[in-house]
Amino acid sequence: MNDDDASRLDIEGFEERSVKAIMEARTPEMLEEQRIRFLGRKGEITEVLRSIVRLSKDERPVVGGRLNELKQRLNALIEERKALLETSDGDEEPFCGDPTLPGRRGWEGGRHVLHRVLADIKEIFFGMGYSLATGPDVELDYYNFEALNFPPDHPSRDTQDTFYINRDILLRTQTSPVQVRYMERHTPPLRIIVPGRVYRNETPDPSHAAEFLQMEGLYIDTDVSLADLKNDVTFFIHSFFGSDAKVRFRPHFFPFTEPSAEVDMSCFACKGEGCSICQKTGWIEIMGSGMVHPHVFRYAGYETDRYTGFAFGMGIDRIAMLKYGIGDIRRFLANDLRFNSQFWTEIWSGVVE
Amino acid sequence: MVGGGGVKVSLEWLKRYVDIKEAPEVLARDLTMFGLNVEEFHSLFPPLKGIVYGKVLDVRKHPKADRLSLCRVDVGGEKILDIICGAQNVREGLGVPVALHGTVLPGGMKIKRTRIRGEVSEGMICSEIELGIGRDAEGIIELDFEEKPGAGIEERLGSSDYIFDIEVTPNRPDQLCHVGVAREIAALYRRPLRMPECMTLETGAEYRLVIENGNDCPRYSAAFIDDVATGPSPGWMQDLLLAAGMKPINNIVDVTNFVLLELGQPLHAFDRDRLAKDMIVVRRAKNGDALVTLDDIERELDGRDLVIADADKPVGLAGVIGGRDSEVTDSTRRILLESAMFNPRLVRQTRQHMKIETEASYRFEREGDIGITVAALERACLLIKEIGAGCPALFHADILADPALVGKRKITMRTRQVNRVMGTHLSARETVSLLERLEIKSEISGRDVIASVPSFRRDIKAEIDLIEEAARVYGYENIGREDQSGCNIFSHISGDDKRIETVCNYLVSRGFAEVITSTFMDPGDPVRMGWLERDPRCNAIRIENPLTEAQSVLRTSLLPGMLNVARRNSLSEREGIKIFEMGKVFIPAAGEAGLPNEEMHITAIFTRSVRPLNWFGKQRSFDYFDMKGELEALLGRLGISQEIVLAGGGEGTHQFVCNWLLDSKLIAEAGVLPSSVARIYDSEHQVFYFDLWIDDLPRAGRDRKRYRQIIPYPAVKRDLCVIAADRVMFADIRNVVKREAKLLEKIWLFDYYRGGHLGEGKRSYTFRLSFRSSKGTLDDSTVDREIGRILTALQRELEVVLREE
Repeated sequence: MNDDDASRLDIEGFEERSVKAIMEARTPEMLEEQRIRFLGRKGEITEVLRSIVRLSKDERPVVGGRLNELKQRLNALIEERKALLETSDGDEEPFCGDPTLPGRRGWEGGRHVLHRVLADIKEIFFGMGYSLATGPDVELDYYNFEALNFPPDHPSRDTQDTFYINRDILLRTQTSPVQVRYMERHTPPLRIIVPGRVYRNETPDPSHAAEFLQMEGLYIDTDVSLADLKNDVTFFIHSFFGSDAKVRFRPHFFPFTEPSAEVDMSCFACKGEGCSICQKTGWIEIMGSGMVHPHVFRYAGYETDRYTGFAFGMGIDRIAMLKYGIGDIRRFLANDLRFNSQFWTEIWSGVVE
Repeated sequence: MVGGGGVKVSLEWLKRYVDIKEAPEVLARDLTMFGLNVEEFHSLFPPLKGIVYGKVLDVRKHPKADRLSLCRVDVGGEKILDIICGAQNVREGLGVPVALHGTVLPGGMKIKRTRIRGEVSEGMICSEIELGIGRDAEGIIELDFEEKPGAGIEERLGSSDYIFDIEVTPNRPDQLCHVGVAREIAALYRRPLRMPECMTLETGAEYRLVIENGNDCPRYSAAFIDDVATGPSPGWMQDLLLAAGMKPINNIVDVTNFVLLELGQPLHAFDRDRLAKDMIVVRRAKNGDALVTLDDIERELDGRDLVIADADKPVGLAGVIGGRDSEVTDSTRRILLESAMFNPRLVRQTRQHMKIETEASYRFEREGDIGITVAALERACLLIKEIGAGCPALFHADILADPALVGKRKITMRTRQVNRVMGTHLSARETVSLLERLEIKSEISGRDVIASVPSFRRDIKAEIDLIEEAARVYGYENIGREDQSGCNIFSHISGDDKRIETVCNYLVSRGFAEVITSTFMDPGDPVRMGWLERDPRCNAIRIENPLTEAQSVLRTSLLPGMLNVARRNSLSEREGIKIFEMGKVFIPAAGEAGLPNEEMHITAIFTRSVRPLNWFGKQRSFDYFDMKGELEALLGRLGISQEIVLAGGGEGTHQFVCNWLLDSKLIAEAGVLPSSVARIYDSEHQVFYFDLWIDDLPRAGRDRKRYRQIIPYPAVKRDLCVIAADRVMFADIRNVVKREAKLLEKIWLFDYYRGGHLGEGKRSYTFRLSFRSSKGTLDDSTVDREIGRILTALQRELEVVLREE
C-alpha cells in the first residue's frame, strides 16, 4: 500500500482486494498465504490501522470501528473457505493444473446460409397461414411456360434463358409451374409457398447464377384482391427486414399475372437516400407479384370467373445477399467453409466482401 | 435504340408530342411508378468542367496570320486574358465560353498557355464541336445569356436534353417509340397528346403487290417517291436521331428511322428501279433462294423464311433486314417505301436462325400496330417533302388481309370484377375516366363498361387486361384495404418438410457443416467414381444446351459435388471435413411424360482429422466406425427401430462399402471410397461416406409414440465372452441373443479381438447383457436360464462357444 492510498484510507479498495484473494485461493496453503498477507502481524491491515493517527480525533473511532468489523468479516470468510477447501482435499485435481486449458470439442457444424434464410422466410409465411408445396426441378415445358401463359415462340420467353433436356422437357426457370400442378389437385381456398431450385442458362457472374433458390407464394379464393397481395407482401417484408422498410408496388408485366407488380423495398443501407447497394435509386427490387391471370385458371381447370388470387416470387439468394451484404452470388454454391461458417452463429452481423 | 428489353428516348423529342414541365428525376420516378421502369436517365452530353463565361473586350488582327484574331477576354480574374481565336464570328462585346489553362475538353485536348506565331494565347474560346455539345464547327458559341465573367457555365451550356433508358416488357411494343412513351406521359399527367402531322395519301395506287398468304403478312402498305435527291438530312433530325442512339446516314434512311423512333412502325425504302418488273411479292422463300443482306452477308433461305421479293428474287427478309442490291444509294431516283405487318412468329424464327437482331425485327416480333402502316407512310412522305428529299406520289398501295384486324376491339369490363380484383370501390363512371386517359374510349352499359381498344394496344385482349390498365392509372399506391384481409386459411405442416428440417438440424448439432452443391455434374464423374456402366448412376440426363461440358448432365449422386467441396477446402484451410448435403438426384424413368425420378438424398462425407487439433489425446483420422456411428444415430433419431441388414455393396462397388437394407429395401450406401477414387479428387486421406435415400424411409406421419411405464425393478447385468469363427458376424450373434433372451433389455459389445493367441480364423466378442422384468426383481436362476438358452442356441446355430478362462 503506498502513501497516497494510506492517506485516503482506502478501506473499500482494501476490502475488495482481500475478499477476491481469499475466494480465489484453491488450496489451504494458498489460503494461509493470503491470511498472512492481509491480516498477519505485518499484514496490510496493520498498516491501515497505523495510518489512523493521521485522522482527526472525531474520525478515529468511526474508522477504527469499521476496520475491526472488516477484520472480523475477513476472518470468518477465511474459516468458511478453509472448511470448504479441506472437505474437497482428497479429490483428484481435475484441472491438470490449469483450468484454462481448452475443453474437449469436436467439429462445429451449421446450416448453409441459403437454407437458414429460407427457414426464416418459411416460418413467417407459416405464421400467416401458408402451407408448403413442392414440384419437380425437371419440368415439362407445358407447366413452366405454356400453362403460365407464355405462348410458344413468344418474346416473353426470352427473359428466361432455359436449359432444355429435349423439346418438351426443361429445367424449370421458376417455381411458378408448381402453381398449376397444385391447382390441378386442389380446390380453393388455397394458400401455399413453394421453395425450390430454379435454373437459367446464363453465364455466371457476381449477380447471376445458373442455378439458384426461389420461393413462390400463391393465394386463391373467391375474392382475393390486389389489396390483399399488398397486405401479405408488406407484412412479410416488415417481418423479415424490419418494420421501418417502406414498400412500393410498381406496375410491371409477367405473362401469368395481371395486373402485375414489381415490389421494391426502401434501401436499408441508405434509408432511401441512394447508395451503391440500391444503385442510387433508394429502392431495391425484392420480388415480382401480381393477380393470377385468368388464363392460368383456365389451364388449371378452374372456372375462371369463380376465383381470384395472387402470386409472388422471390430469389432466396438475392434476399440472403441483401440481408448479409454478400457481393457475389457464386459464393453460395462454392462452399468455401470459411464462408459457410460465418453464418453458423445464432446472431450474426457484418459484411462479406 | 432497343435491345436488352428497353428503349432509349430523348426528353426533347418527347416534348414534341406532350408538354413536360417536370424535372427529369421527377419524370423518371413518376414513369417508374406508372409501369415504365426508368432504369437510368442522364444528360445527353457529358458534363463539362472548367468552362467559364468570358466577355470579349476587344479584337484585333493577328499581325502574322490573316485568319486569326487576338482577343482580350475578361474571365473575372485580376488579369485580362489574351486569347487567339480563329473563328470569324468573334467580336467585341460577345459573351463566350472560355476553356482556361489546364482544362481538358471532351475530345481529350488539354488547354495550355501557348504561343501562336509569336503571340501569346492563354485559353480557348470554344465552338460547339470542341465542347462536344453539337455539330457546329464553324464558329464559336455566342452565349445568349449574361453572366459574371469567370462564372462556371457548364450547366447552362449544351443541351438541356436528357436520355431516358426505359425497360419495356414484351407485351408493350407500343412503348418502343417516342409517341408511345408520350402517350403514357399524357395519361399520367392528364395532358393532351399532339400527334405528328401527316400528308394525306389517297388509296388506289396502281402497283403490282402480291401477298402469298395473309396469315404470314396481314398487311402491306407502300408509298412511292419520285425525283429522289439523297443527301444529308437536316440538323434537327440528325440531332434527334443521335440523341436516341441512331447514326444519321442519308435523308431517306434518316426519315425511315425517324418515323420508326417516332411512331414505332419500321419502314423500308427500296430503290424502285432495282425491283425486277417493278413489283413486290410477299412470299415464303424457296429452297435455293439466297439474299445478300444490308450487312453484306449472303444468306441461304428456306421455307421458314418470309421474304419480300420482286418478280425474280428476294429483295428483303420480311421484318428483319433489307437486301443490299435494292438499297437506297446516291444514284437512287425512285423509291418504294414499305410499311407492313408480318407474322411475329415468322420474324422471330428467321431472326433466331439467321442470328441477327434489328430494330425492325425487335418490334415485329412483339406484334406492332397493324392500324398504323398507312399513317406511318403519310408521316414519312410529309417529312420527305418538307426536307426536300423527294417528291411523294399522292396515292399509296395497301393490302389488308382482314379489315376486322384494324377495327377497335370491344371488350366488356364488369365494374364488380374491377373492384374484386383491385380491392377498391370504384363506380363504372370512374373506371371509364381511368381508361379514357389511355385513349381507350368506353361507354357505360348498365353496371358495366364496354371499352373500344385502339389498334396500338394489341396487348389488351380480355377483361383482365383492361382491369390492369385501370389499376395502373388508378395507381397501385392508392390500392389498399382498411378491413384487413379476411383470410381464414390455416397452415398444414408438411411431414416431409419437417422431417428434412429435423434431420438437417440434428446433423448440424452433431457437428456437420451443411453444403449446397450444383445440380449439374460432369459426365466424367461416374467413370471417376468407378461406378459400373450398368449402375443407374452412370445413366445421367443430358442437358441439350449446357453452360460447359463439365456441367452438362444432371447429378445422379451428391458425392462428386461433395468431393469437390472437400478438394476446394484444402487440408491447409480445413483439418477435418465433416459435411452433409440434402438434395435431389435425378434418375431417368419412364414416369410422367418422360420426367425423371427426383430422389431426395442425404449424403455425408468424413475425411481427414476426426477432431480439431487438441492437447488431450492422439490426433487421428476419421474411420469407418465414426461414420457408422453417425448413420446409426441418425436412423435412431428418425425412429427406425427395425433391424437394419448390412449387405455387400452393389456389384462393382468397393469391397469396403455396405448396402443398408430396411425390410429388404435399400435405404443407404455407406463405406469408404476406393483410394484410387479419393486421389482423383485430390484426397490423400481415406474418405468415408454415407448416402441415405430419405424418400425411401417410412413416410413421415403423425407422431404415434406412447409413453411406456418405467419399470421400478432393477436390471441384472451379465458379461459374456465368446469365441467365434471368422465367418460369424457380430450381427448374427446379436440376432440369436435377442431372439433367445426373453427378458433382455440391452446389449453392449465392449471388447473385440481377432487372431493372435486365439489362433488363425478365430475372434472373440465380449458383451454385457442387461435383463429386466416388469413383474419383479429377477433372481439369479432366472437369469442363468436365459444365459443357458443363449449359449445353447449360439453353439447350435453359429458354433459360437463360451471362452474358457
